[in-house]
Amino acid sequence: MDVSQYLEIFIDETKEHLQSLNTQLLELEQDSENMDTINEIFRAAHSLKGMAGTMGFKRMQALTHDMENVFSEVRNGTLKVNAEMIDTLFQCLDALETYLSTIQESGDEGTDDNEPLIKALQAHQGKAGSAPAAKAADKAAPVAEDTSDGYEKKWKNIKFGDVEKHVLTEAAEQDMNIMGITVYVQESCILKAARAFLVYKAIEEIGEVIVSEPRAQDIEDERFELDFSLIVVSEKSLEEVIKAAEGVSEIEKVLGEVIDSSLYQGGKAPVAAVAAESVAQTTEVAAATPAKATPAKTEKKAVAKPVVNRTVRVDIEKLDVLMNLVSELIIAKNSLVSASTVESNSNNTGFNEHIEYLESVTTNLHESVMKVRMVPIESVVNKFPRMIRDLSKKLNKKMELYMSGEETELDRTVVDEIGDPLMHLLRNSADHGLESAAVRKERGKPEVGSIFLDAYQDGNNVVIEVRDDGNGIDVESVKNKAIERGVITPEQAAGMSDKEIIDLLFLPSFSTAKVVSDVSGRGVGLDVVKSKIESLSGEVEVKTKLGEGSTWIIRLPLTLAIIQALMVVVGGEKYAISLGSIQTIEDISPAEIKTVQAKEVIHLRGTVIPLIRLSDVLDAPSTKDPSENMVVVIVKKGDKLAGLVVDELMGQQEIVIKSLGKYISKCKIISGATILGDGEVALILDANTLI
Amino acid sequence: MDELKVEYETTQYIVIKIGEEQFGINIKYIDNIVRMQRITRVPKVAPYLKGVINLRGEVIPVMSLRIKMDLEDDEYTKATRIIILKLEQHGMLGVVVDEVKEVVTLGQDNIEKMAHDGKDDKVNFITAIGKHADSLISLLDLNAVAAEKDYM
Repeated sequence: MDVSQYLEIFIDETKEHLQSLNTQLLELEQDSENMDTINEIFRAAHSLKGMAGTMGFKRMQALTHDMENVFSEVRNGTLKVNAEMIDTLFQCLDALETYLSTIQESGDEGTDDNEPLIKALQAHQGKAGSAPAAKAADKAAPVAEDTSDGYEKKWKNIKFGDVEKHVLTEAAEQDMNIMGITVYVQESCILKAARAFLVYKAIEEIGEVIVSEPRAQDIEDERFELDFSLIVVSEKSLEEVIKAAEGVSEIEKVLGEVIDSSLYQGGKAPVAAVAAESVAQTTEVAAATPAKATPAKTEKKAVAKPVVNRTVRVDIEKLDVLMNLVSELIIAKNSLVSASTVESNSNNTGFNEHIEYLESVTTNLHESVMKVRMVPIESVVNKFPRMIRDLSKKLNKKMELYMSGEETELDRTVVDEIGDPLMHLLRNSADHGLESAAVRKERGKPEVGSIFLDAYQDGNNVVIEVRDDGNGIDVESVKNKAIERGVITPEQAAGMSDKEIIDLLFLPSFSTAKVVSDVSGRGVGLDVVKSKIESLSGEVEVKTKLGEGSTWIIRLPLTLAIIQALMVVVGGEKYAISLGSIQTIEDISPAEIKTVQAKEVIHLRGTVIPLIRLSDVLDAPSTKDPSENMVVVIVKKGDKLAGLVVDELMGQQEIVIKSLGKYISKCKIISGATILGDGEVALILDANTLI
Repeated sequence: MDELKVEYETTQYIVIKIGEEQFGINIKYIDNIVRMQRITRVPKVAPYLKGVINLRGEVIPVMSLRIKMDLEDDEYTKATRIIILKLEQHGMLGVVVDEVKEVVTLGQDNIEKMAHDGKDDKVNFITAIGKHADSLISLLDLNAVAAEKDYM
């Protein structure tokens, strides 16, 4: 079968499943008894197996198959989760990821069989074998079949709700037979749902199905594997019920047992079961006790289960095309606007109205296209808890990652790129930032180090902070290292502020870790982080306090393509400044300019703000008389301010950012260009690089 | 220089004029030829980069071949054109020329390879000389034309 057309879907879905497995495994590590988590894991592993099988990736299928087996044992309660097992499972996930990336690159899964992993999995499974067999023997079934040949009495795992408990208790009072049935359908069976339905129907004729696992609806939709379990109440004997079920063709095996009340009364009722009359009183009480517990549990389940979104997968390229069209539309709209202002006279108010309408439509269209492109950063940060867990083991430091704001949304292209820089920063915090447990104890800090990853929206920017409560950056040590490396001279160092020295960390080939570990310390970290984030038109800065920890702050623009901008004129040329970075616009008389350290500053409402004359920066001689009042655009970057002196203001405009292309990439102060309504090209000033 | 090695029997060139000299540009690298239009200056770049223009919604950098060849700065006339090149390595690039004359078809036997002596900057942009009718046409090596050059 040609499955290549499904490859993309397969890759996407496999990624999702692997991510879910990672998250769930982490949860399982914390709470090894959580049935919901175990079920979730089992489901994900099972779907993975199925998908890999369909696509013909045999090795991947084999590995997931064994993983699934282990989960299955865990789910049945025959195998306990332990640290060693979790480690193995994580390794399996890594192996699966390797398969996936090989598939992504070459369309083939590669040749690595991952034998050791499969063996390890089987070893875990082997441990399970002995325990459950003994248990099964204890509960000597009335029917001769036993579970040793691979069939399990899965009805034992069925959980009873209040209603069912009540029904069963009543049935027991009426001397009805209550039995658990597990039906195995033949593996070769094609219409499993149909067979299951027939079994269901046959049983319904002679009794009543109280509970089924999976639910009847799921069975009908074929959402089960080869087996399903039922709890049946019938006047007929167990043998008759089993016979009825076995009467359906393509049924491999039917296991059944008359069950005692202890199963559905949460194990609290006396073991003497069939004598229902005598227990009737106690059952009422017993049924009431778990009743309190159950609602809480179901509620939790409701929260844990993610709501399935109604989504369509769209190729990002198609969105790019859509976005370009929207851009074109906005440019066309801008031309209309400028045409209308040129020819404006009183009698074409109707025309203006239409233009205003067009303007609001294009703005809305732009916004919704932007929103389509936005994805939560969740998809990227989700893998970090796992990474921190691994790092914690590798570095032998105790640490915990706290994340907030995973739902913060960013443009898809940015989200795709932001993963690596964030990973670098987290690794950095884990390796360099956090002290070892012993040192932490000495300093009176909790032994377990904390790393925080917080994301939030701030105006036109999204801010992602990576914070740790570790040692912070030792400025002296950085300074010495920089001198040692010849990055700066001792004389230079003496004149540098702490901040300037910390900024040295972002230079290529600068690593302060004394020991080069495989986590960080090759000096290829922070400079890569910085350049990557700058390529996304973002910026990164660090705040640190020795002994208390550091905070790395990444600022990213919310959108990449279209922004609101202030148009200004400098030396007869038009420039755009992103509205997001503008604080205020001031009218300053030349007399207000003071000079501090040979730099021009103004004193504005209690703050001293350095002035930047754009005409000098842009080599565009100002056309204004120097004695006239100046127009100063106050821009901010983080908490730093600067005043940009311009000749004239033109007004606010929605502009489409176009790249200047690779050919003119050297010009740092220009972040791009835009096309104005009259077809003229205006450059976009990057206020961030000016400050 | 690869472009010349993979030539077929004949190649079409667009003949342009810069000053009194005629240059030929392989037609397969030409995306478009547009009239002179307003060029938006970009600050802090090499002087041969004139700035950027708007070509049907795309922002395209424009360079001056004259300045790059150490000739006098362009004087824009009615004949001045911007040739939009599409290069693999550099993407789209506009080149200002004094005049576009004609399209010629040159056979291999009409093309004479040039030996580089490396002394003259102008010569480095030329890979071969084409003979057409009575005139000589210097065939431009576009990668060399587009290559960045430091002006101190």
